[in-house]
Amino acid sequence: MKVIPLHKKEKTLGKVYGKRRYDLPLNNNANSRFLVILIGLMSFLATLGLSAFFTLGAMSQRWISGLENNLTLEIPAETSEGRLLSLDEMNNLTQAAASILTSYPDVARYNVMDREEIQNLVEPWLGKGALSADSFPLPGLISIKVKDQASRQSVESLAKKIEDTIPGARLDTHESWLKDVLRFTNALRFSTTVLLTVIAVTTVIAVAGAVNASLSAHHTDVELLHLMGAADSYISRQFQRHALLLGLAGSAAGAMIGLLGVTAIDWLAGEMEIYTSPQQYTSLPQTIGTAMVPAVIALLAMATARQTVLHELAKMP
Amino acid sequence: MIRFEHVGLRYGIGPEVLSDINITLAPGSFHFLTGPSGAGKTSLMNLMYLGRMPTRGLVTMFGQNINKMKRQDMVAIRQRIGVVFQDFRLLNHMSTFDNVALPLRIAGKPEKEIQNNVRELLEWVGLGEHMNVLPNTMSGGQQQRIAIARAVVTRPRLLLADEPTGNLDDEIGERLLGLFEQLNRMGTTLVIATHNQMLMDKFPHPRLILSKGHLTIEESKFNLRKKLEGLF
Repeated sequence: MKVIPLHKKEKTLGKVYGKRRYDLPLNNNANSRFLVILIGLMSFLATLGLSAFFTLGAMSQRWISGLENNLTLEIPAETSEGRLLSLDEMNNLTQAAASILTSYPDVARYNVMDREEIQNLVEPWLGKGALSADSFPLPGLISIKVKDQASRQSVESLAKKIEDTIPGARLDTHESWLKDVLRFTNALRFSTTVLLTVIAVTTVIAVAGAVNASLSAHHTDVELLHLMGAADSYISRQFQRHALLLGLAGSAAGAMIGLLGVTAIDWLAGEMEIYTSPQQYTSLPQTIGTAMVPAVIALLAMATARQTVLHELAKMP
Repeated sequence: MIRFEHVGLRYGIGPEVLSDINITLAPGSFHFLTGPSGAGKTSLMNLMYLGRMPTRGLVTMFGQNINKMKRQDMVAIRQRIGVVFQDFRLLNHMSTFDNVALPLRIAGKPEKEIQNNVRELLEWVGLGEHMNVLPNTMSGGQQQRIAIARAVVTRPRLLLADEPTGNLDDEIGERLLGLFEQLNRMGTTLVIATHNQMLMDKFPHPRLILSKGHLTIEESKFNLRKKLEGLF
């Protein structure tokens, strides 16, 4: 091809340095900063929410495992007529209960609690020294550990056998108490799941809004690429990559601050003696879950950008 | 190459800006598109580069019925078309080089090939020393040359140019028409929209004349003059 110089004395102005990174000037956009801050906030909240989710899970698991296979046999301190039992009568009933437990195959071990142990249990409610040696009637308590394979029917059969022998005796499986606590922790866990969903939805809406604003701002350029024969995927890749990078920057910073926040809350809880779960950070699922927050949010931002751009491009012929 | 049968175009619920257009442009042909302002030249070009779909009629391009074509299949058709827009539509955040290289990058050409082709072409249009310059710092004429270089860099089978010489002086305009002629000789089909009567008179190509949305075809005055000269 023959070279025809049209203008020889033109000046070189506005030189461009550096490599071409985008066909569209997506970085020169005020939306980008807004999006990074918003994604950072969402990531911060997600880290806190996820931490709460795992902590509640660990707490309920700890309670379950602490009470699993444990029963408490309570022998009332008075008869059904309201007469207080003497110490000897109480010892006899306790011995009778112990012999049933010894002969019962599904009982792994049991411990007849002495008066001092029982006093220690009720002390937090009644105060130290409130119970003098024999002045206050105390029920007989036996803590029982049943074997792992013990069925519900077996425990019910034991309860009936004890009740037949010792009228008024009650075998407490802790089930009703545990049910309430588990219902409460499950409700809290459900709330954190809702919170995490709201965070995800907010992120999607914010990214879609920012991408739409960006598409409007660069509509002429996007249309030009389209008319030059750029496939939808070629154009959407530019927005996807941009959203991924912004998402990673924002969510990494947000998750980092979130982790610091969780550490601070944990420290404060320890200081105020409301420490709840001793293994908050050592659980593997929580470590993996928290580490994945930036990646998940960034990928969510990328997928949203892709869908938003493809949806808009579909309106072009 | 291009076939329009009873094609009409209206924007929204407005009147038809193009009515009953019937044309067939053979492969390798060269046509000027002319007519008064507001006659529908840009709208017709828009239909030709698939910027819009007609509201009625049949459009066939490269032997394929556009009306029945899937969106994703139009990508390949668009990559065979080069367009010089009236307002250039250059990307001002990109250097001259990158603007011209863009269609090749979109087509997925290797970077080495892009480097060679774009440099050669920019030298050819006299912008060899301005490869790293942003377009918005350049004159209208220079920007127009970038737009032309970008349109021809892929050696398109169809080149559509909307007032490509509007910002150029006559001498440069003629040189660029020479470039279009050269492309045409290499097999590219051309449609050049222009108001420049003198320029059209210098080239022996038929004219598509648009008036109030209706299209007529007129033989070149250059050819008529030659015929008349032959008679006497």
